[in-house]
Amino acid sequence: MAENAVIFKGTKEGLYIILKEEMDLNTIKYNLERKIKPSKRFFEGAKVMNFKGKELTKEEFDELREVMEQEYGMTVVGDYSDKKHFVQEERSAVKRTEMLEQLPFEYVYKGEALIVRTTLRSGQLIQYKGNVVVIGDVNPGAHIKAAGSVIILGTVRGIIHAGASGDYGAFIAAYKMQPSQLRIGDIITRSPDGMGSEPENPEIALVKQGMIVVEPYLKNR
Amino acid sequence: MGEVIVVTSGKGGVGKTTTTANIGTGLSLKGKSVVLVDADIGLRNLDVVMGLENRIVYDLVDVVEGVCRQRQALIKDKRYTNLYLLPAAQTKDKNAVNPEQMQKLVGDLSEEFDYVILDCPAGIEQGFKNAIAGANKAIVVTTPEVSAVRDADRIIGLLEASGLRNPMLIINRIKMEMVKRGDMMNIDDMIDILAIDLLGVVPDDDMIVVSTNRGEPAIAIEQSLAGQAYRNIVRRIMGEDIPFMNFESDDGFFKRMARLFGLNKKKQ
Repeated sequence: MAENAVIFKGTKEGLYIILKEEMDLNTIKYNLERKIKPSKRFFEGAKVMNFKGKELTKEEFDELREVMEQEYGMTVVGDYSDKKHFVQEERSAVKRTEMLEQLPFEYVYKGEALIVRTTLRSGQLIQYKGNVVVIGDVNPGAHIKAAGSVIILGTVRGIIHAGASGDYGAFIAAYKMQPSQLRIGDIITRSPDGMGSEPENPEIALVKQGMIVVEPYLKNR
Repeated sequence: MGEVIVVTSGKGGVGKTTTTANIGTGLSLKGKSVVLVDADIGLRNLDVVMGLENRIVYDLVDVVEGVCRQRQALIKDKRYTNLYLLPAAQTKDKNAVNPEQMQKLVGDLSEEFDYVILDCPAGIEQGFKNAIAGANKAIVVTTPEVSAVRDADRIIGLLEASGLRNPMLIINRIKMEMVKRGDMMNIDDMIDILAIDLLGVVPDDDMIVVSTNRGEPAIAIEQSLAGQAYRNIVRRIMGEDIPFMNFESDDGFFKRMARLFGLNKKKQ
């Protein structure tokens, strides 16, 4: 079965459902069911702004709307004439999303980066509203606070705070991860007690299920 | 123009004063003219370590305030030619002088001497700022303890921020047998963190305690291991390329050969 026949996309106003071009209506309905059924409680009462992607006829649109409202208890806010506007705009946008989806992390491209080309020593604090890249080590007692992600081309021994303004999608990557503490958003974690063995591979710290997980990002080594 | 070297560490009690005394004495033994400046105003003890405390009339603050001429405050060491001490005031505190005054004082001294060596107080406040104001080289002293290395790291950052690039590192009071047992930080680990050039490694030596209490720098004592290490450091300061002593580097002949053949990677 084709993956991503339907994609849910959350925006500030509400949910958009992106339908893949080459899918017929039955496949779409089948895929909607597959996606929504398992987490029906989650979707109940959700506001769907509109459908995007595939061009729909008025009848198809109404049919989909009825399915959403009757079976899943969701409300479709937009109407058919709005939908038409999206079609042109979406044609090019879909291409762009496809390209972005090939990026390894969603947040890599986001925002500006501050590049620090020195070893950060005890007592030094770097604060930046975007991403931070350090070419050098971060020594114990040094502190990096970034609204975005932090990448260290060296050894981390200090405190790194990524996503400092609450972005859980931020990550921390380093050649050698031996931090005294890592923070992403408001989640704090610290290295296990006792002198653990030195990491042999470059590692990345991400938020998974509300916890910071550190794992090698080159899995095949 | 002589060289102005500040000896600093951040943490107290790692051996700044001992190092200053020994390097100064060593340089004068090598025929250089040297002045030691105690920048630790209010807590002076370089004079004690040098065995000159009962000859102090004027001090650094007197010179800065113009109470006396610079020449009057300098104490000539009777044992070594061309070795002088400018003692700190004991009844004042660090705020008695400011960095500009220190800069001028040290500048004047460097006109007359080959080496001006400043004994920096512990900490990163006014006293530290005063001491580094006139320096053009820095020696960072640390011991193989996490706290001392942490402070040294902070100091290196501050030195670099104030334009004193490439400070040199002295690792003091190392016990090789403890390092071998893995109970003490090893030299490679420290250099890994601090990432500056190593000037020398001084072994832990009971002789230092004796010599400090007697006011005779250990560098002049032939059979002292620490004295030997300081003699090497002095020659490195003068630009000679001296290989590190056995206890100074923890990889002996066999380990080096083994590494050559790729047998043992870095330990741990």
